[in-house]
Amino acid sequence: MKSFLKMAVLSAGLLSTTGLVHAQEVVTWWDFLGGGDGVRMKALIEKFNAENAGKIEIQGTTLEWGTPFYTKVQTSAAIGEGPDVMTYHLSRLPLGVSSGALSEITADEIAAAGLAGSDYADSNWKAAQVDGKQYAIPFDIHSIVLYYNKDMLKAAGLLGDNGLPTGLDGVDNFKAALQKLKDGGAEYGVSIHSAAGDSQWRIFYSLLGQQDGQFLDADGNFLSGDNLDKAVKATTVVADWVKDGLAPAATEYPASIALFTGGKAAMHINGVWEVPTMTDLNAKGELFDWGAIALPTFFDHPATWADSHAFAIPNRVGNEVSPEKRAAVMQVIAWMNKNSLAWADAGHIPAYSPVRNSEEFKTKQPNATYSVLADTAVFDPSSVLAGVASPVYDAAGNYLMPAVNGEIDPQSAMEQMRDDLQGQVE
Amino acid sequence: MSAADTAADVPLPARKKRFNRNEVLAALIFVLPFVVVYAVLFIYPTLQMIWLSFHKAPLIGPGTFIGFDNYLKLFKDKLFGVALWNTVYFVILTVVPATMVALAIAVGVNRLKGWMQSLILACFFIPYILPVSVVFRVWGWMFDSQFGILQPLIALVAGGNVPVFRTLPLFMPTVAFITIWWTIGFNILLFIAGLRNISPEIYEAAALDGTPRWRQFTRITWPLIWPITVLVLTIQLIAQFKIFDQVYLFGNGGRSDATMGLVQLIYRSAFQKNNGGYGATVAVVLFLVIVVFSVLQFQMLRARGNK
Repeated sequence: MKSFLKMAVLSAGLLSTTGLVHAQEVVTWWDFLGGGDGVRMKALIEKFNAENAGKIEIQGTTLEWGTPFYTKVQTSAAIGEGPDVMTYHLSRLPLGVSSGALSEITADEIAAAGLAGSDYADSNWKAAQVDGKQYAIPFDIHSIVLYYNKDMLKAAGLLGDNGLPTGLDGVDNFKAALQKLKDGGAEYGVSIHSAAGDSQWRIFYSLLGQQDGQFLDADGNFLSGDNLDKAVKATTVVADWVKDGLAPAATEYPASIALFTGGKAAMHINGVWEVPTMTDLNAKGELFDWGAIALPTFFDHPATWADSHAFAIPNRVGNEVSPEKRAAVMQVIAWMNKNSLAWADAGHIPAYSPVRNSEEFKTKQPNATYSVLADTAVFDPSSVLAGVASPVYDAAGNYLMPAVNGEIDPQSAMEQMRDDLQGQVE
Repeated sequence: MSAADTAADVPLPARKKRFNRNEVLAALIFVLPFVVVYAVLFIYPTLQMIWLSFHKAPLIGPGTFIGFDNYLKLFKDKLFGVALWNTVYFVILTVVPATMVALAIAVGVNRLKGWMQSLILACFFIPYILPVSVVFRVWGWMFDSQFGILQPLIALVAGGNVPVFRTLPLFMPTVAFITIWWTIGFNILLFIAGLRNISPEIYEAAALDGTPRWRQFTRITWPLIWPITVLVLTIQLIAQFKIFDQVYLFGNGGRSDATMGLVQLIYRSAFQKNNGGYGATVAVVLFLVIVVFSVLQFQMLRARGNK
């Protein structure tokens, strides 16, 4: 017994000393990246942990995208719990800051990490600020693209010699193209996620941007003046496709992808985050020859909805992230930005200019084909009512989605959407 | 000495005293842990919530006192009316049907014997152990408007695929059906326990008298199982008034304003819009509604049972 006790004390002592020698910062990380891009992010985290073994370790958790993530962040921050760093949509930044969930990142911290505002596109860097204070560091710009089945488009005469689609610009041309594809044997010309407001919002917002329409004007009014008519036009474009059977009605997200990958739909409008899904399937020999281009120009000029993933530090009330941990977090963010070429594999466009302007990214496919959209990207309105999991997204589910599926006519849908959101302005 | 003599020997006051001091002390000590936990985890937060409903406050943090303004806002809120009706509609769709179906299944299962009975009982009970997210995934997949395996059957009846979760009139009935499938196992168990308590001799006597099966059910089973039926109805009523999970999951991304129940309205107000005071107001109203309805139901059913 006595010797056993001696052994126990000895081993406890040894174990505690080993703990002291390997004192590393453990960074708790929350993200919502569960799609095809989530796999790529996990690989990035593993690479970071391998390169920084013994110094900084990221312990990441992936939570459900959307409302569940943001409400969890808000409530945990308010009681002093939560992660040290998290991914955050810049579209939601005003709302996040107004609810006190985010902690300001000082200029010193940014400089100490080796980053600078000049390393990012101006609009992107500004989108991460509220009242001139920095609350997040951008990581990527992501958007929606048009995925297409090269074989089916070729058979319908819609593929140019360079392997890229032609004849898709313009509302009527696109609809005629859809009809041609359907006549050629496809069940649908294009498959869209028509059962929810978030995907429809992205298409709608792109079409609105292409007409220079403003969803929220400078005076804080929603769909004012002729913006309402432009909104109705944008909604009608998609509603027409569904009405004529060229796009599927009330289709869930996984089903909309399966329609495309299963060859039933010739084209598919979805986020760039599904590029890895297509790439992986193609590599396994389970997918046809596919491509992705920026959304066609339906109206006056090109424009595509875009949002930006960024890294933010939560404002943990009563249990703030310690300065040493913050320094480690900034190192994580800097590393992630510098290594964001690998993130481009997930289909996104790196926000970090040195990477975005590099030769490797400029020649990376399929990103290079559609990354031109970054020049004409339209970001969500800057409002506490806008952004992911916001009242605007809810309103899209309540009015835009039924309008697309033919349950409400576009005119009254847009009017109700405007009135609903205007009524929520405090 | 006779018993009467012994009784007469005990002094009157000692015999009449029912509350022995030591016994009361022991009782208090035994109940104390429960009372403390109950007071801290239930009574105190409920009082805080009622107090919060009189404030304009964020989810976490102090607010400003505004009296009954939240309640006035509530009764003018169109969304509250919709949520209240959706909740009542869901209760109508699930409480009585779930109880009756459970009773029917329990009566049927009770007639089986041995391993057959265990197998069938397990089949009905297994859904109950599934978490709601699994139930959501399974049924969402089966009803998927493009690839769901139930769609061919639906197409036979409706002439084409039907996106049941995006067709407003079908949404609540479908979610109610899935809820009944999911939770019926528990009710069946309660009923089987009650049925097994009925002595088989009563049935044998009735059979000897030549009573038909149906009469046996209405005259013997139904009255004797009545306390269990009341219990199941009350539990179901309280549970379905608090409906949230399934309605939220199946309605997410869709016309949530038209399909939400009262608990979802609380969630939206308090967690999404960061309006803790208003969320508390809805919660207080829901609490009162449940109290009123369950007391009413219990009284009504007890009165009927006593006749």
